[in-house]
Amino acid sequence: MSTLATLPTLLFLDTLFEFLRPSTLAGVAVEGLSLAALYVMITAGLSLIFGLMGVLNFAHGAVTMLGAYLGGLVTVLLVGGATGDPVRFLAFFVATLVAFGALAALGGGMEIALVRPIYDRPPLYQILLTFGVTLILEELARIVLLFYGIQPISDWQDALATRPAVLGEGLGVAGVAVDGLELFQILFGILTVVGVWAFLTRTRYGLYVRAGSEDDEMLAALGVDVRQVFTVVFALGTGVAGAAGVLLAWDPSWAASVPLAAETLLPAFVVVIVGGLGTFRGTVAAALLVGVTDAIMKWWFQNYVEFTGLPEITVFLVLVIMLIVRPQGLYGVSEVGGH
Amino acid sequence: MTDGGSTVPDGGSESGNESATPSGESAVPDGEPLLSVDGVHSYYGDSHILEGVDLEVHEGEVVALIGRNGVGKTTTLRSILQLTPPREGSVTFRGEELVGLDTHEVAQRGVGWVPEERRIFAQLSVAENVRAAVPESEDVDAGLERAFDRFPDLRERRAADAGDLSGGQQQMLAVARGLVGGNDLLLVDEPSEGLAPMIVDAVAEALADAAREATILLVEQNLPLALDLADRFYVVDHGTVVDTGDADAVDADSERLRRYLSA
Repeated sequence: MSTLATLPTLLFLDTLFEFLRPSTLAGVAVEGLSLAALYVMITAGLSLIFGLMGVLNFAHGAVTMLGAYLGGLVTVLLVGGATGDPVRFLAFFVATLVAFGALAALGGGMEIALVRPIYDRPPLYQILLTFGVTLILEELARIVLLFYGIQPISDWQDALATRPAVLGEGLGVAGVAVDGLELFQILFGILTVVGVWAFLTRTRYGLYVRAGSEDDEMLAALGVDVRQVFTVVFALGTGVAGAAGVLLAWDPSWAASVPLAAETLLPAFVVVIVGGLGTFRGTVAAALLVGVTDAIMKWWFQNYVEFTGLPEITVFLVLVIMLIVRPQGLYGVSEVGGH
Repeated sequence: MTDGGSTVPDGGSESGNESATPSGESAVPDGEPLLSVDGVHSYYGDSHILEGVDLEVHEGEVVALIGRNGVGKTTTLRSILQLTPPREGSVTFRGEELVGLDTHEVAQRGVGWVPEERRIFAQLSVAENVRAAVPESEDVDAGLERAFDRFPDLRERRAADAGDLSGGQQQMLAVARGLVGGNDLLLVDEPSEGLAPMIVDAVAEALADAAREATILLVEQNLPLALDLADRFYVVDHGTVVDTGDADAVDADSERLRRYLSA
């Protein structure tokens, strides 16, 4: 009886020792960082838009989904029959630029035509409006995809197939086996963080965004056209979401599909809330926290519980714990946006 | 507090604005006013706050807007800035109608605002607060240097978060921000509110300095301070101007003012 009782303990200790091996820890850390990179890219725009304008953009996930399809389309068209990795990387960067530009234009147009007229209404109007936009974008995507014979709810394999071979391989970095795709995602995430950070701290518009996040009325009284700043930020936020979609189109865990809209929106909201509504610094910290926690729990579910269906639950557990312990989030302020 | 070249005559006859001068003895200068508010009615939702405000501010003047809490002084400033757009009446600045413009367009025409409770951007540095106010057409560094030349204390704390400044320093920052870009008219709302008496003196000095380069419309509960700074005053009660006159002609505890200012 006592031997039987000690078995789970032994199994746990054995798994713990395995987890604490430097190579395992490094592998989990890299996976955590790559997830954090994806989360920060998905969430950056949402955070900027909410921080400045106080608008919870429920269409953000749908924009990421469109970015995945648009980016996928560009890579499929550009790669064609070519097999070399340089061509595929080049196609990826062209696709990112196209998706960023097209979805920034869509976001700017959406802000001017749909969101601007209801700034003075209660937040519920903005939520309902952007949720309605999500439904429209998803249905339009379904119609177009079915017209071209592509299954909307399945991963778009043609786009996945354009991924360079090197991203599907394990690479040895400092003695640690690292997935090429994870490294690519981390690099792309760092670029996104640096880009958004530079925009916020090194440009006049970034200054307006940070000032307007505190007090947009005061900013207007200083002579700044706040509505124009709103449009630029909405466009930038949706553009970054679209660029994130291009990266997801190459990741078999996500891939281009219509359900990608909801799959990305939920963790994006979790990261924004955990980081503190409307703070980009909080978004980066929360993406790291949620990404690394997610990676650790995935490893434990796979190696100890031996059940892989539930690791996503940890993302929401982080949210619940944060709401109880620190409702304003890691770097949250009591109030943001506001009109 | 106008400089030596003041256009404000001593004593003085009324020049227009009859409806707003029940007690007479207003010393409104002659000529085209810099700012003219005529019959302005403003609302918050269904609440009728301003019920026909009339006032004039001439170039080089400091004009005080005095009255009890909640009578419409701040709303008058907000209506000039179009933050609370009037539903009736006219606001002209240098002869140009402001009603119908956006707030940023009013500001771009040379109207600065030093709001109640200062409303500095607490999470931005001191320098960034000033930078945000420099017009896009101007060189940011030059604008910044001019502001720091005017308020040297701020230069020393230029990298500090504005939220970490003392109340007096925050008020200086708010005045500096209001003057950036060479604004011709500064709307100053309750600059002494919540400040220690010693700091109030420093703020008064800063406003007196500011008055050398800009015309000021000042809302202030501290009556001695308001009358000390101002050339003329308007008394606001129940959303309308009920008295006006030369600041030198009254003192803070005169019966004429007390009947409107006592609770």
